[in-house]
Amino acid sequence: MKIFKTYKTVVIAGALLLASCAHEDQPKESQLDFTTPAKTELDNWIGTNFLNPFNINVYYEWNQNLVDNNRYLYPPMVDKVQPAMEVVKKIWIDSYTTIGGADFVKKIAPREFVLVGGVNLNTNGTVTLGLAEAGQRVSLFQVDNLNRKSRASITQFIHTIQHEYVHILNQTKPFDEQAWAKLTPSGYTTSWYVEPIATSRSLGFITSYARLNIYEDFAETAATILTSSKAEYDAILASITDANAKANIKAKEALVVKYYKDSFNIDFYTLRDEAQKNTDAVINN
Amino acid sequence: MKVKYIYKCLMIAFAALLLGSCSSPEVDAKFDQNATDRLSGRQKELNDLLLSSADGWKAVYYTDSTQLGGWTHLFKFLPDGKVNMASDFTGKDGSIDTKTYQSQYDIQVGSTVSLVFTTQNRIHLLSDASNYPTAALLAKGYLGDFQFYYYGQKNGDIIFRTNRNSHFLRFVKATPKDWADLPGNVPIIKAITGDMNSPLFRILEINDGTTTKNYDFSYNPSARFGTGYSLESGVNTSYDLALSFNPLGAYSKLPLEVKGQKLTDYVYDSATNAFVATGKDGVKATIKYTNAPPRLTDDYKVTLPAAGAPSTAYGYIAANLANAPTNSQLCNYLLNEINNASAAKVNRVQFTFYNNRTVDIMYSFTGGKATVYHRATVTEDAVNKTIILKHSLWHNGTAVIAADPLVKNLDDKLMDPKGLYVTKESFRITYSNTIYTFAGASSSFRITTYAFQ
Repeated sequence: MKIFKTYKTVVIAGALLLASCAHEDQPKESQLDFTTPAKTELDNWIGTNFLNPFNINVYYEWNQNLVDNNRYLYPPMVDKVQPAMEVVKKIWIDSYTTIGGADFVKKIAPREFVLVGGVNLNTNGTVTLGLAEAGQRVSLFQVDNLNRKSRASITQFIHTIQHEYVHILNQTKPFDEQAWAKLTPSGYTTSWYVEPIATSRSLGFITSYARLNIYEDFAETAATILTSSKAEYDAILASITDANAKANIKAKEALVVKYYKDSFNIDFYTLRDEAQKNTDAVINN
Repeated sequence: MKVKYIYKCLMIAFAALLLGSCSSPEVDAKFDQNATDRLSGRQKELNDLLLSSADGWKAVYYTDSTQLGGWTHLFKFLPDGKVNMASDFTGKDGSIDTKTYQSQYDIQVGSTVSLVFTTQNRIHLLSDASNYPTAALLAKGYLGDFQFYYYGQKNGDIIFRTNRNSHFLRFVKATPKDWADLPGNVPIIKAITGDMNSPLFRILEINDGTTTKNYDFSYNPSARFGTGYSLESGVNTSYDLALSFNPLGAYSKLPLEVKGQKLTDYVYDSATNAFVATGKDGVKATIKYTNAPPRLTDDYKVTLPAAGAPSTAYGYIAANLANAPTNSQLCNYLLNEINNASAAKVNRVQFTFYNNRTVDIMYSFTGGKATVYHRATVTEDAVNKTIILKHSLWHNGTAVIAADPLVKNLDDKLMDPKGLYVTKESFRITYSNTIYTFAGASSSFRITTYAFQ
């Protein structure tokens, strides 16, 4: 017991000794820079129109983490940003909001738009107009080239957004992939870019890019209808002489209409008409 | 006893622990500050440095001096994240805009501190995928960056490394003279680029103090890069020049080594329209224009069939050869001048060389205009290796007619008093016919034809 007592004293002394060593600097305030960067008028506009109402941020200043660093791209001209995003707001957000309900875009939307001024040219000579990544981010290229007075320019630009948004909708609720895959199974090809659009249409595809796979096919079919007036779309169908091809495109159209109705309770044609009305409003103002 | 041993062992272990815990925590610090402090310190240091120069900074940006030249950029950084910038970049349409534009910049912190030009300005012109100076740079533009990693300072200069290919880039303090001088680069760049009336060929003439050797200088004005190829047969020597410009001339980042001397500064001499780099002891390198092809050949002899031999014919056919790269700008200009004048468009310009030293130049058209022929005599200039065509008469195949004013300007180039160079080219266009070009000896006119025999 005596030994134990002696050791007990030593142990307590030792514990005290160790504890006394635990003297370290306490953390102070963060060393990271948390000051809010100065906001420009454009930043405030983005805040009012996208960030606050829809929780969507718009990146127009360069951040290499948001873009493919192997590509030779550059930021858009600052004075092109607001006009481009006004088009996005009017034709895409406003159309879906009117038809799908005030909260539709708030619930399902990319959270980030990345704007790029230059052309995203691929080494095979094709041009990438837009990218949708994981349903979270949509990158739009060639913002510098957008001409609001030209219907062709607006249609191409909005087609990119409509196309990418259809992907995001598909990622939320899948479409009937099995039914789709049965329609034109042999027409899909990775070298879609060498195919003339007329050939693709005679095989039952609305565009050549639609021939990459069924997901692009769905997005292209939906986006083409949304960016065309009824008359324009009818003209496309009328230009197809192959009866089977025409029937396949119409069957795809029916699947798109059904998908919007069943998944989101949206009448696809009403949405198309609203988008067209808003497109006219953009071009005429 | 057993318990005692256990305690003893425990105590030894405990003592070891105790001693170990007292080992000095004072590690020799490699740095005075921790990583965060150092990064934010570097961030502030770089920003302060950029703002410190009253007239901003100058950088001659060589994106890749193995295949491209350099572009001069001037930057003036402003306190609120704004930057004024100017450059001597040559646009797609050949225009050079040296005006100053404002955009934003940022000092970003990642693994290290970098300067990023976050909104569009002149420097971004170098990284436009859709504007590339050579076929090899498809989708890569001019290989430019606009994010530069801060590497340090040296003699008052700021050293960066570029983002994608880690090349060094030096920012030198700019002076008011630098800003005033920038527009002065434009006439120099235009002088080396030339226009449609500039002679077709460039020569790099190298004098080593005793002898002069000529090199066929192939220069790409967009890339600002040229290579001089030896004209001696069997010699494969070549010299690369990666040029940037200043109001006095050109500077090559790749020095031209002659007799141990490194020539880099080519001064423009407007009197001779040449760029001259002068060394010591008579060493000199000159870039100059010439209408005479660097390699003269006997190809012209095909236009001189011997008496009794069949005639030879060479034809420019608009449908196939309008986009031939060997048609000179002046040739295209003159053809377009005819095409734009009326409904008649040039269909063919065709030479038929007879065996009696005469030629019929046929001009045929689409759009309803009748074919006309210009007959001329052909004289050989064996010294300069040219043929000289001299007017005889105009006819329409059956009767003599007056000269056709529509084709006058083009026809005048073919009647060049100094003659025409005739060259058999090594490439084919659409068909298997041999391609021959006819070039004016005293103008930059050159037309591409198919040989019909």
